[in-house]
Amino acid sequence: MHMLLEQFLNGLTIGSFYALVAMGYSMVYGVMKLVNFAHGDLFTLGSYLGYSILVFGAGWITQVLGIWGGVVVAISGAMISVGIVGLVVEHIAYRPVYKVGRLPVVASALGMSIFISNGIMAIWGPRFQAYPQNAIPSGILSFSDIRITFVKLITLLVSLGLMAFIYWLVEKTFFGTAVRAMALDRDTATLMGIDFNKIILFVFFVGPALGAMAGVFAGLNYGRIIFNLGWTYGLKAFTATILGGIGNIPGAMIGGLLLGVMESLFEGFVSGAWKNVFVFLVLIIILIVRPTGLIGEKVAEKV
Amino acid sequence: MKKTLVWLLVSVMSVSFLITSCAKPTVETIKIGLQTPLTGDFAAEGQWTKQCVEVAADLINKKDGVLGKKIEIVIADDASNPKDSALAAQKLISQGLKEVIASYGSSVTAPAADLYDANKVVSVGYGCTAVRLTMDKQRPYFFRASGRDDTQSEFFVKFAVEVLKAKRIAIMHDNQDYGKGVAEDAKRFLQPYIDSGQVKLVYYDAITPHESDYSAVVSQIKQINPDVWFFTAYYPEAALLIKQARQAGVTCTFLGNNSVPTPEFEEIAGVDAIKGSIHLNEPMPQFLKSPEAVEFMDSYKAKYNELPGSIWAVYAADALNALAAAVKKAGSTDPDAVTNAMHTMTDAKGITGPLLFTDRGDRKNIPYYAYIYNEEGKLELYWPKD
Repeated sequence: MHMLLEQFLNGLTIGSFYALVAMGYSMVYGVMKLVNFAHGDLFTLGSYLGYSILVFGAGWITQVLGIWGGVVVAISGAMISVGIVGLVVEHIAYRPVYKVGRLPVVASALGMSIFISNGIMAIWGPRFQAYPQNAIPSGILSFSDIRITFVKLITLLVSLGLMAFIYWLVEKTFFGTAVRAMALDRDTATLMGIDFNKIILFVFFVGPALGAMAGVFAGLNYGRIIFNLGWTYGLKAFTATILGGIGNIPGAMIGGLLLGVMESLFEGFVSGAWKNVFVFLVLIIILIVRPTGLIGEKVAEKV
Repeated sequence: MKKTLVWLLVSVMSVSFLITSCAKPTVETIKIGLQTPLTGDFAAEGQWTKQCVEVAADLINKKDGVLGKKIEIVIADDASNPKDSALAAQKLISQGLKEVIASYGSSVTAPAADLYDANKVVSVGYGCTAVRLTMDKQRPYFFRASGRDDTQSEFFVKFAVEVLKAKRIAIMHDNQDYGKGVAEDAKRFLQPYIDSGQVKLVYYDAITPHESDYSAVVSQIKQINPDVWFFTAYYPEAALLIKQARQAGVTCTFLGNNSVPTPEFEEIAGVDAIKGSIHLNEPMPQFLKSPEAVEFMDSYKAKYNELPGSIWAVYAADALNALAAAVKKAGSTDPDAVTNAMHTMTDAKGITGPLLFTDRGDRKNIPYYAYIYNEEGKLELYWPKD
């Protein structure tokens, strides 16, 4: 029972990373009908920016604001910068080719992905970088036999909190209704007076910013980053997106968490070597039974 | 009168010619080839190898050389790839060399070893550890001064069972070529102990490389709580595993293989996580303490101001020492006599220990060591402390 709870918690943590990244994919797809392949690399960029803020600013930020202050500055700095980068990417790489058709945009997105990851490699180098140990809050909480680091707990709470907030924003507010309307039918929504550009601004800022936050959290939790980190996370998060139903934001959250928990339970109780085989088998089965993903009716309606 | 002058001139010339031609044998040398990657992916290894072999040759020459002759090293660059390796081998063979040192990387060494063998040239590898090089087919003139891929696994079993007295052993690999190979060999060498009930293999599985969160497998190790946890893959995953394991309260002994203890491993995992972990490795140059090793390292340091960058380069120096000892024993550079001497010599000492070879050309009793990270996160020799 202990073991089950512990593995569930592990899976939830991994899953929350997938979910944060998956939401970015899903938001962009919902509004633009575009798989933003550069999203995984924006996640990596966030991770590296957080790293640089902690390395270069660690001295004075930590002195003035304390170690948690440093973490908050790193996370918000990375989120804002990567959010802006997301807008720039949309403006220079997607908008000009968007009208040509869907394939050129996919090529453009792949190009952007290579551009960003190679840019990161050129700036920070091809080797692993280690997050500065002295800028990461230490401390471990124990509940009888289960031990969890402070950072992990915070990651989990902040991610879940943020997911709840985004859920509320998209599902319960007037603005969210506009976003969903845009996802459902762009032309009609525009005729109803919804400003397409405002919605684009929202998804291309918030999506990458969430990815950047996940990136900094990954650095804080695992301490090790590399320029192609986004590839692994991007692939798994994209899988989570499909699993939940692409274009559907709560679907992305559920898909991410479910994928993480499945991985963790299978690795913990059956076999690590066969983990990915199992996970992707489940994905295939789900797609056969429900081609639009777990919560994907809306997509079906639209296509 | 004129005739006498001519005769005098002729005799002076012929005498001087005789003198010069007599002087020639005193500068005659024994030429030994060195095939090494001076360019390409392994260029750094090649550079260290060249330096190590030259230092070893200087040491032999200072002690009157071999059979009264000095050793001369003839270098050919194999550019770290199999194609250029064959060209480099051809180059050395066409110069009439009978003994060569070659080379670094198993796939690079194989084609060269075939050529040397076909042309009856004795070759000694120094950085080629694939088991197949000596076991797939017999190459009578091929030897290697380095160990094999399964040397480490054999050492692991001896160390874990006899030294650490482990009863419950966990072996974890990464499903990739190298790591899985080491793990499978370890399991094979462990089998007799498992069969006799002395040891229990409580975990044998793989992780997925390039991930960041290994908490699922860490929780599993924590519950199994083995005496020894042997990880056979690369440092990036090892660093994350040991860090996450120590955070989760896993206290068992962590054993890393020879790709784990690197500066990057220390940096990513941090001192708190790595202290007390033990790593199996080829001899590290700074820990070699035999008289031969001290003499070599001192000469190397005097010339280059640092220790050799890798143990494989030191094995190349030992390849030269082995060839020199064999030529001495054989009394000539004849390849058949030298090959015979390589197989039968018993007292040749190298920098990395005794230079003995099996019938198939593998090095016998290849030294292997366990190193431990101390409280400050620095490596120390753990076993055997000879």
